Order: sequence, then C-alpha cells, then structure tokens
Amino acid sequence: MKTILDQTRALAATAYNPYLEEAKKQGKKIIGYFCSYVPEEIIHAAGFVPYRMRAVENRGTTRADAYYSSINCSFVKLCFNKAINGDFAFLDGVVFANGCDHTRRMYDNWRYSNIGTPFVHMFFVPHMINETALDYFSLECAKLKSALEKHFQISITDEALEKSISLYNRKRRLLAEIYATRKNKEVPIKASELLGVMLAVTAVPVEAAVDILTEVKKFIEGRVVSKPEDLRLFISGGCLEEMEHLELIENSGCVIVADNLCLGSRHFHDEVETQGHPVRAIAKRSLGHLSCPRMMGDFQRRFDYLLSVRETHGIDGVVIEKLKFCDLWGAEMYLFRVEAKNRGIPLLALERELYGGGAGQIKTRVQAFLEKLKNKQAADEGVVRAAGTDYKPK
Amino acid sequence: MKQPQPFQYLKWSARFLNFGYYLTAFPNLSYWALKLTRPFYVQRETFLNRKFRWSVLILGGGILPPEEIRAYHYGAKAFADNMRSALKANEQGKPVVWVEWIISSEIVNAFDALPFNPETLSVFGNMSGEDVPSRLMEEAESRGFAAENCSAIKVTAGSYMLKQIPRPTAIIAGSHPCDTNVSAYQSIAHLTGAPAFYFDAPYWRDEDAFDYYEKNMWRLIDFLEKSLHQKLDWDRLRKVVENENRFNFYLQEICEMMRAVPSPATMITPVFAWVVREIAIGDPNATEMAKRMYEVVKHRYEKGVGVVKKENIRVLWWNPPIAFFAYVFKWMEDEFGAVVVKDFIGDVRMPQIDTSSEKTMIRDMAKNHLYLAMARQCHGPVEFILSELEQAIEEYSPDCLIFAGHAGCKHGWAVIGLIKDFLKKRGLPSLFMNMDIMDQRHATENDIKRWITEFFRSNGFV
Repeated sequence: MKTILDQTRALAATAYNPYLEEAKKQGKKIIGYFCSYVPEEIIHAAGFVPYRMRAVENRGTTRADAYYSSINCSFVKLCFNKAINGDFAFLDGVVFANGCDHTRRMYDNWRYSNIGTPFVHMFFVPHMINETALDYFSLECAKLKSALEKHFQISITDEALEKSISLYNRKRRLLAEIYATRKNKEVPIKASELLGVMLAVTAVPVEAAVDILTEVKKFIEGRVVSKPEDLRLFISGGCLEEMEHLELIENSGCVIVADNLCLGSRHFHDEVETQGHPVRAIAKRSLGHLSCPRMMGDFQRRFDYLLSVRETHGIDGVVIEKLKFCDLWGAEMYLFRVEAKNRGIPLLALERELYGGGAGQIKTRVQAFLEKLKNKQAADEGVVRAAGTDYKPK
Repeated sequence: MKQPQPFQYLKWSARFLNFGYYLTAFPNLSYWALKLTRPFYVQRETFLNRKFRWSVLILGGGILPPEEIRAYHYGAKAFADNMRSALKANEQGKPVVWVEWIISSEIVNAFDALPFNPETLSVFGNMSGEDVPSRLMEEAESRGFAAENCSAIKVTAGSYMLKQIPRPTAIIAGSHPCDTNVSAYQSIAHLTGAPAFYFDAPYWRDEDAFDYYEKNMWRLIDFLEKSLHQKLDWDRLRKVVENENRFNFYLQEICEMMRAVPSPATMITPVFAWVVREIAIGDPNATEMAKRMYEVVKHRYEKGVGVVKKENIRVLWWNPPIAFFAYVFKWMEDEFGAVVVKDFIGDVRMPQIDTSSEKTMIRDMAKNHLYLAMARQCHGPVEFILSELEQAIEEYSPDCLIFAGHAGCKHGWAVIGLIKDFLKKRGLPSLFMNMDIMDQRHATENDIKRWITEFFRSNGFV
C-alpha cells in the first residue's frame, strides 16, 4: 500500500499533477513563481493556484543554450528549456523575481521567445531589510495585486487576502511542526523525503497541501528513520530539487536534521501577522523571513540561525552547497568558511550542477567529510576542514 | 611568489601617475618622446616593453596629440593626489571611505574623508609591468573567494589581504549591477570589519524607483554622519555637484560630437574621464580635464577633422573596456583605422543636478546615479540594453559591434541570445569575445588582438 510519502514522492517527480488538473477543471488559473520572496497569498487570494517553478522532468538545456551562455545557472537553463518545449503550457501566468541575475533575466528571455504564457509579471524584491525597503516592497506587492486584477479582470479583496494569510500560515505551521520533529534523537523523516513533501506542497493548491501535511505529520508519528550512529547535519544552499542527491548524502552515514534552503526552512519560516493591512503584513513577512545571500547585510542573521539550530538540533557538521556560476552562494561560502572555522564548526562546501550527475564525486567527498567527523568525535580534535582543495585559512 | 611590500603596487601607481603628471606638463615634449621611443615599447617583447608599455600607452603612446595630452595632465593629477592621500590616510588618521566601482562619491567628498575606489588596482595594478590584478585575484581565491565572482571584487579582496590599499573606515557598495556586488561586498565588509552601506538599486526606472533610490541617498548621509562622526557640509556638496555638472556636460557633449563622421574623438577620452570620475568626481582637476578634452574635440568637430587620419571602421564597443589592455582602442585605431564611437562605459548621459536646494540635489543625484554607466544598462529589463543599442545604431553610424564578454557580467551573458538576435536583425556584424576584462588568465592581449583582427578581416573591413 502506498504511503503518503510515496504519494508526495510521485508528486515531486512530475511537473504537472492531478491536483492541478482538477484545479484547471474548476476554472482556477495556475500561476508559476520562481522565488521564496514571491508572496503566494496574493496569487491565492485571486482564486488562483501558486505553483513553484521546477526543473523536474527536464530534457536538458539544448534550446535554452541559444538564449543563455555556458556560464549561466543550470536550474534557470533547465527551466527555460522546459518552457520553450511547452512543458509549462499549463501555466496561465508566471511571476518572475530578481532573485538572482540568472532568474531575473528569464523574464526577458521568456517574453522574447514566444512561449505564449498569457500573464508575465516582473516582481521586484529589495536587497535590503529595513523600513525604506519595506515601504517599497509593499508597493511592489500592491502592484502585483493590481496586475493580476487588471489582467484577469478580477478583484482581490482584503477579506480574500486575510483568508489566504490564514491558510498559508496554517501550512507554514504544519511544515514547522514536521521540521521540528527532527530535533529528536530518533528522526522520523529524512531530508530527502521532506524535500519530496516540499516539492509536492508547492505544486498543489494550498488547501490540498494542508491535507497532505496533516497526513504526513500523522504518518511520521512514532516513525524512526535514523540510526543511532548517524551523524547529524545541517544543509544550506539555493536551488535543490533532486531527492536522490539528499539520499546520497544521507545514505553515507548521516541524517540531515535542519536546513536553510529555498525548498526548506525559507519556505515556511515566520508567519504573516494577522493584524494591520494584509498587503503590508504579507510584504513584511516576505521581505523579512529567513534570508538567502541575495539579501545584503543579513549574513549574521543567517549564521545566527545556524547557531541556534545547532543548539536545538544537535548538529555535528554543516554542508553548504552552490550551483556552478552562482555568485550569491559563492560569496556565502566564503563567509561560512571563515565563520565556521572561527567557531570550530565542521563544514563541507559542495559545488555542483542541478541534475548534473557527478554522484560518485559527491559521494566520495561526503564520505570523506563524515569520516573526518567520526574521527573528530573519537579523538575530539579541533576543526575539521573539508572546504575545497585551494582553501588557505589565515 | 614573494609577498609584496605593503602598498607596493599603489605606490608604484602613484609614482608613475605623478611622473605622468609632470611629463604631460610639457605636452609637445611628451608627445615627441612617446612617439620617438614607440618602437621600443610596442614592437618587440623586451624588458622595457613589459615594464612600461601599459603605462606609456595609456598616456597615448605617441598617438594622442599634444593638445589632448594636456587634458590628461589634469586627470593624472587627480589620480595621483587621490593615491598619495590614500597612502598616508591610515597613518594620519584620516577616515577612508571605500566607494565601490559604479557608485559615485559626491557625498563622501562633502565630508572630511577620503573617498577611495578599492578596485583601483584592477586598472592601475597593470602599471607595474607585472600582472598584478591576477596576483591579487589568486590571493583572494586561495582564501576562499569564489572563482566565479567578478574579478573587480576579487582584486579588492586580494588588495586588502596583501595590504596594498588603505583600511576602510566605512564602505559604500550597491546591489547593482550584478550578484557579485550583492553578495561579495558582504564578504568584503566581513573581511575588513568596516561598517558597510548598501545602495539598493530598483529594477525599474520610474518615479517610484527614483523615490526609493532617493531614500537610499538620505540613509547614506545618515550612515556617513554616524560612521564618520561628522555632519555633511552642504556647501561643500554643492560645490562638488556644480563641478560634477560641468564635468558631465563636457563629457556628454564629447559623446554627442562623436556621432559625426569622421569621429572627432577617440573613445579612450571618455573612458579615461570615466576612470577619473570614479576616483575624483567633483575635483576641480577632473573638471578642468573634461573641459580641455571638450575643447580639443570641439575644435576638431568644427573643422570636420577625425581623430584618425583615415577612419575605416566605426565600432560600437559593448561591456566595459579591457583593463589589462586599456589601449586596445588606440591599437585598433593605429592598426585598422577602427574608431570606437560609442561604448558602454564612457558614454555619459546623466541628467544635470539641480543645486537650488538640499532636497533637489539629493533627488537629482539619485536619478543621476541610476544613469551612471553599468547602473544604467544592467539594473533592469533587457530593454535598457536593447534601446541603448538601438539608439547607438541610429545615431552613431556603426559598421560593427564588439562585445567584450566579461566573465563577471552573468546578467549580460544571460541575455546574449536576445542581443545576438537584435544585432542580426539590424544587420550589424558583431564579435563576441569570451574573456574577463581584468583577468588575463581567461584571454590575453594577444588572444584579443587575434580575435579582433580575424573579425575585421573576415567581414571585409580590412
């Protein structure tokens, strides 16, 4: 009999799914979005289904290569290739964001390549978290709302926004509760399984997502997937959507118990306040939630998050990942290396391509890292450093 | 490799620029000296060649006429003054504010502080005759800076790590033009421990966007007042801005006159002025340089004389110029009669700043900053690039375009297909070079010469 985790795995393995088909039949529009900073509540309050864009079921980058170059991000090229191939034809609109240089340029390439998506919108997200930025971001949220209203000839009421806020907060709370179970010594759900859940609940209507999460929460009660000798890791990075990649890490003798990933904690961290004007409240949460390196001057908060989770979840080591040619995570790795060394936190820095293979190399590096961690545990040595061959700490 | 002495590279640059300043005080003499010795530093690979070629060619290498050399005299003074002050600043306790590549430093100039461009050695590091920028980048990479980060910021990090530039009291950076700026300046702030202010560039260029950027400017003033423990001197700022307005006016006029066929100016003039602007905007020497450049070009324009004897090819140059091969424009003129008539960096199109009140100054400065080179083209949709190219094709009668594909500009590479399609539709032959403008480890001067030569030949231009 198929479990709920089998179902979420199946949902994660496809771009289009029966939930979306059902929503379409009910006349609901499907709106794709690219970044954790895009507020799903506004799209949902319009009566639509927000859909997190993904590169699953991709067929390479052949056609996207004519638009991008060899030094652009594999996630973006894979997604764009899918779009040109018509694999996102079920979308009624896409909201782009300036998450990074590669994704923001997808707004340009999408418009000029006759993909034919009826609604395309560029959503500006400030790179700072302060009152000035919040004012401007609130304006951007209001502009997104107006753009949806104008294009689809609808009205998004404050009441609808408040209902969406409540629903999305419920979803976030459920996710937070599921994530929190990994604090325990006996971990009930693997990170690879959770990634499948995340991929599933960002590709179905939020109402269905809440049901799925409720079921997942129930299913993992009393379940144990970790072994007593498993090392406990934290993972940080940008785009990551291959469950098999996390399986590869976890099958090497560890369990990932916390993260700062787009499809991880960043998706549900912090709730939208239910007081005050809904658009402003949505903007406040979207801008101020657990950040990624695109937010300037916020590294300390990101690192403090790791430190707090280290305390609560008992972290033995940290894996930080980046996709090739990602300046944002490249610079973050430098900061992590320096701070992790200063504080004696073992760190493994990985660089890879999305769906790029290289499993053997990654496995070797993970195994070596875990072996060092085990030696450290045995000998209680100082810092374990496994952060790149050319790294020269001073 | 042996570690350099503290400030070794900056001292060399300051000394050479000082030498350039005195030499160009006698423009006729320097013209003939450069012209007559040219075979020694251009034609063969010798010690002299390696050691001095970059520096003497940047001064024109005997091709720039004496009247233009006179203008460079003031630019060299502005550079040398800034570098000399930077060398002494830490010892003297003068606050140093690092102002990143494409952010303008007017407001810092209105404090008793030294604005310093920490990427300086990515250009002037070449003056020592050694490949200093690559040495600095390797240092930064070896200590964990990401290889894919823009070389400009890796040079900053390497310069600081090897004690080649002064310690900052504060840092001003921005979210544009690229992700390296967004992320790696967080690393730089961490590395130096200095408080950092980040400009957040909006995506669009409308009134809401200008409002947002203006608020950033006011926050900057607040930040500097707190970091420097001083109050902004508004009269001083007004003088700086008045000088800047004149500077921009002269440069804008030069760029306008370059539409003429034959072009009365070489693009190296506005590009050199841009580097001066980065380091010394508001400095009377910078304005004097711009004025003299303008007078020379205007004189040629009125007489209908081109900057080269026979203008064979009119080139649009897209992306920044090549720092380690800064004389590429002069080389193209000399070898092929190819004149760059419009480029990405030197072309000035900033609105004038209204100095009638504090409010208008800050508001217009915000607009002005969003029209600075790179900020103007890179912070928004691809139309910011395509419309500028469209206008350039309409107004400058180019024969071809050369795209200096800088490895750090991934946002530019991410719309390379659209740019190629656009140029194809306009029937403009184009060369796309895969390189790094500051890092010769990607492509060398010889590679670039070969690509350009083959491009001109294969398109029948020469």
